[in-house]
Amino acid sequence: MQMEHSAGVVTAERLDRPPTPARHLSSDTTRAAMRVQNEVLRAVRAFLADEGFVELLPPVIGPVTDPGTRGSKQLDVDYYGHRYKVMTSGILYKQASLLAFDKLFFVAPNVRAEPPETCSTRRHLAEFHQIDLEVAGAGQAEAMALAEQLLVHVVRQVLVAVPDQLDLLGRDPAGFAGLLDGPFDVLTHRQAVAALHALRHPQSPDTEIAWTGEELLSERADRPFFVTDYPKGSRGFYDRESRTEPGRLCNFDLIAPGGYGELVSGSEREADYAAIVTRMRETGENPAKYLWYLDVIRGGIPPSAGFGMGLERLTRFLTGLPSVWQVNAYPKIPGEVAP
Amino acid sequence: MTGLRAAGFPAEAVRARALAGAAEAFPPLAAYGREVFGAQPPAREATADLLDAARLVPPVFMPRRLEKLIDLGREPLYSDVDLTARVGGFAAALPVFLSAFGSTRLGSSELAVAASRQAGALGIPMVIGENVVPVNGYRGRSATTGLLDRVRAYVEATTDHIGGVVVQQSTEDADAEVWNLVHSDPAVEPLLATGRLGFELKVGQGAKPGLGGMTVLDGAAAGRVSEQYALDNVWHAEEAGVLRSSSPGTFTEEILRQQIRLMRNNFPRVKVWVKLHPGRDVAAAAEVAWAAGADAVTVDGAEGGSGWAPRAFLDHVGLPLGECLRRIGRPAGCLLATGRMWEGVRTVKALALGATAVGLGRAALVAADTDPREGLRRLVAVLALEARMLISALGKYTVDALDADDLWLPGGTVPIAEPAAVAGSSPAHSTVRLGPSRRPPPDQGGQP
Repeated sequence: MQMEHSAGVVTAERLDRPPTPARHLSSDTTRAAMRVQNEVLRAVRAFLADEGFVELLPPVIGPVTDPGTRGSKQLDVDYYGHRYKVMTSGILYKQASLLAFDKLFFVAPNVRAEPPETCSTRRHLAEFHQIDLEVAGAGQAEAMALAEQLLVHVVRQVLVAVPDQLDLLGRDPAGFAGLLDGPFDVLTHRQAVAALHALRHPQSPDTEIAWTGEELLSERADRPFFVTDYPKGSRGFYDRESRTEPGRLCNFDLIAPGGYGELVSGSEREADYAAIVTRMRETGENPAKYLWYLDVIRGGIPPSAGFGMGLERLTRFLTGLPSVWQVNAYPKIPGEVAP
Repeated sequence: MTGLRAAGFPAEAVRARALAGAAEAFPPLAAYGREVFGAQPPAREATADLLDAARLVPPVFMPRRLEKLIDLGREPLYSDVDLTARVGGFAAALPVFLSAFGSTRLGSSELAVAASRQAGALGIPMVIGENVVPVNGYRGRSATTGLLDRVRAYVEATTDHIGGVVVQQSTEDADAEVWNLVHSDPAVEPLLATGRLGFELKVGQGAKPGLGGMTVLDGAAAGRVSEQYALDNVWHAEEAGVLRSSSPGTFTEEILRQQIRLMRNNFPRVKVWVKLHPGRDVAAAAEVAWAAGADAVTVDGAEGGSGWAPRAFLDHVGLPLGECLRRIGRPAGCLLATGRMWEGVRTVKALALGATAVGLGRAALVAADTDPREGLRRLVAVLALEARMLISALGKYTVDALDADDLWLPGGTVPIAEPAAVAGSSPAHSTVRLGPSRRPPPDQGGQP
């Protein structure tokens, strides 16, 4: 299983740590990675502007945030005597903002105190950024198509605009041939579980695909693929449950090949007030603390679908760097104190 | 000693055991050879609790004793009974665990820390109750009240690979993210690394089935938590304190199933426990919990608790523990029983009715109050001695060998419910099929 090792045990991966801020910021690798990331953001904004999206600036704190899953902890701030949360994702605000625009996105900083054992996955940061978008009236299939188009566009742009940086980092452009060659594959969660079982890798059919399992599938792929239809109990209350197949969520992850793992997580959203309150209970949440959000939902919002694309994970995939901290200027590894 | 009182509970007998240990398993030694002993006449009021009414009935022919004789090469004695048990995914020295005390004045005092230390030394699992973090803080408002103090006391006293710590989370605790807080704390890592951390989803409790936790807070403490809890000035006097109520939380089959799945999803290295109140559908709820992957289901009989409960509930609401066990029948997973546990007889009867272990709540508090260093250890030593004698008398030598045949009720054996069909683990399941129609309808109770 993915977490059999103890976070207290020093493994080879744990030795792979950011150097001092001065060395990290003055390294050629960091500089090249930042140039690639800069191009990613330029490409994302250009693509989404062409598609009619409005960029909104995301909130940083609020009375409540995305409850998240897999044991990541929210950070509190004292806001005039009230306990506020630093945003773990902008999902609640994205849904509410559909009252203003049909297509919107954030480039949002998020903070998640991930469990210390994620320090060795090489793809978790406690502070990271998401390209977080939402589309009114869209379903699961439209959101998946959009994620695919966006990724292909970004890869094309980066290959054209900063080939020198990729060259400097030793990333072979041939590694993207599969991605650029036709539509991505789609695997349901059930099929992904079966594929892992066939590889004699343990995986519960009722839970999230574990990090080691996801990496295993990613390593064996030569192009990105979707995993869809996760079971209820593995994701947040806002992922819409299938009306025809109870227990199946209308959601998806987009997994990069080569062991880079999940780049995108998204879903068709639940917009029905009673269904959201019930789902909050099913995910162990106290509806009372979501008062402002539930007021918005009760007043009515359009149905929607959307996703978050991890900016650092995308940049890591493009640069081919071993660890995600290498593509963040001010990296914070879970469980470790860093500036 | 704080003068802790426990109405309706044999507190004096518990205190005597906490002071004297094994000697309290017998009549006073001074009476030996001077008095004759016999059973007490039956109480005039018929008890509603099947566990009280039942008698343990050793057989004459004992094939299992023969097995043990062959194994040992000599006649087995009560000291040959192996009391070790697998309790909710943890190895335990005895089929006993320390129940949740919660955030009440009693449960969060130094007594709780003393009890935690002794539980660690005994090698029995310990549950830390709900609302400790929102009310008392995580690292302790005073030196001794926080959750972490209890964890530390336990870990310091324990040896590796035995016992475990289970942390409850209620609806209000979810706001304080107790599980995430505990899970990511380096101080808890030794437990996590040895598979000895559990989380308990509290669905309800025996003292007030259908209501949430209740405590009485002074004005200052009430002010601190006023955003999270309902407060009711029941006593209309400044100095009397304020009633603080937790919401009981809303559960349906699907909510329970999904909350358990979410716990397994988010905390794969942590054992999942579920605590149920003695509801009329307790068997169905236990089945849902096991099918969703719970490592243990605790059934808390309507017997009392360390918190605060309205009199109406203490006397008139909820099924007695024995009836809960009878309705559950042969359990499909690890079943834990709590409610008025303090000695060996009730323990062995509960085990015979399907429980894997029993929880000490009030008894542990009273024992720790009597002697903070050794009280609980002595109390448990007497319980263990009695359990060994009773189990060996039944011709058995392990705790899991006990079954309903070991019990007799006036009028016959205990009518155990047939095991119900276990709900499938497919997420598409929206209902749980109950067993054959032999299960009595809830309102008939099924009392013999």
